[in-house]
Amino acid sequence: MSPMKLCVPGDKLCSTVDCIPGTGVYLRHGCIYSSLTGYVLKKNEGEELPVISVVRETETQLLPDVGAIVTCKVTSINPGSTPLKDRFRGTIRKEDVRATEKDKVETYKSFRPGDIVLAKVISLGDVQSNYLLTTAENELGVVVAHSEAGAQMVPISWCEMQCPQTHGKEFRKVARVQPEFLQA
Amino acid sequence: MAGLELLSDQGYRLDGRKATELRKFQARMGVFAQADGSAYLEQGNTKALAVVYGPHEVRGARSRIRHDRAVINCQYSMATFSTAERKRRPHGDRKSTEMSLHLKQTFEAAVMTQLYPRSQIDIYVKILQSDGGNYSVCVNAATLAVIDAGIPMRDYVCACTVGFVDETPLADLCYAEEGGGVSSLALALLPRGGQIALLQMDARLHQDHLEALIEAAMTACKGVSKVLDQVVRQHLQEASVPSAE
Repeated sequence: MSPMKLCVPGDKLCSTVDCIPGTGVYLRHGCIYSSLTGYVLKKNEGEELPVISVVRETETQLLPDVGAIVTCKVTSINPGSTPLKDRFRGTIRKEDVRATEKDKVETYKSFRPGDIVLAKVISLGDVQSNYLLTTAENELGVVVAHSEAGAQMVPISWCEMQCPQTHGKEFRKVARVQPEFLQA
Repeated sequence: MAGLELLSDQGYRLDGRKATELRKFQARMGVFAQADGSAYLEQGNTKALAVVYGPHEVRGARSRIRHDRAVINCQYSMATFSTAERKRRPHGDRKSTEMSLHLKQTFEAAVMTQLYPRSQIDIYVKILQSDGGNYSVCVNAATLAVIDAGIPMRDYVCACTVGFVDETPLADLCYAEEGGGVSSLALALLPRGGQIALLQMDARLHQDHLEALIEAAMTACKGVSKVLDQVVRQHLQEASVPSAE
């Protein structure tokens, strides 16, 4: 692999005439400067100019943005909206649990505390509230859940999961797993 | 104090340095694995440890959330064994609060906080041994720690404390020089662009000397930036060598 150029914050990389700024860089007076310590990467992405960005060995903390798919864990359920406690707090409102029959949603039959849920960020929220999430798509919803007996449940349909030990069925809003993630 | 010559006739200071010479610089990055970023810095006999956490969700007071940028939370403290006499109150006293505020203002100027709305970046600096230039050493250590954490910054932040003695600016003051009736000025600089992040002085100085003193401080900061740059590049090389195998 050819040696990549090291750079530190404040290093002038090039001007906006030569490249388009990517991640890890910033613009000042028509020139592109590095904002991270790492390696300079120039990529041709099909546009007129190459995209220049600075990458590190280890990725830093990312913030969820609107449209990002996030994996979350349910910690408490209340009628209405309650913040979920995790590294970032998000809320799934009752009307965002399902795409169809929004008013007939029973939260207890969709999620339980401890479930791992795949959701989408719809809004960053305002000053007081948290990230707003939604599971109103086929691919979003509960991915991993444990039954009341404690065993990990197997999804049977979009609204039910079954415990392999007790064979009891429990209601959840189940996510449809993408085909590429299914093991043969 | 009789007999204490801050600047001798031959141009040597108390510790044998010349007027524009900086103290011996030693630094290490990534000293703690559990923190997002950390650095240890020694400038002469002043030793500081800086630790950075973040960016993460705002903890504690929800009212501190800013919707458009990250909040920087700095805490400056001194170890009880850092000074000649055991320090009774390591943090929470007026000086530490003021120092924490200055650090916060300095890093808000350099860190690109608009990339991380509604989050918080914590910078904790502890002085392990205090021998003058506390603020400057803290800023330099914190710069290395922020770089180690991978938080984007416009430029390095380099700081230096300078003083004015016998019509000569002295760079990088030590404790004896700071206390010996010298007007000291602390400057934090973004070296590439020459932008001043913070300038602080609470002593008396004739306005004719101010220009020269600021110039000397900026030169000293640029010298510090070269050393910090060396430390960062060396750390980067050391970190990349094992992964290249």
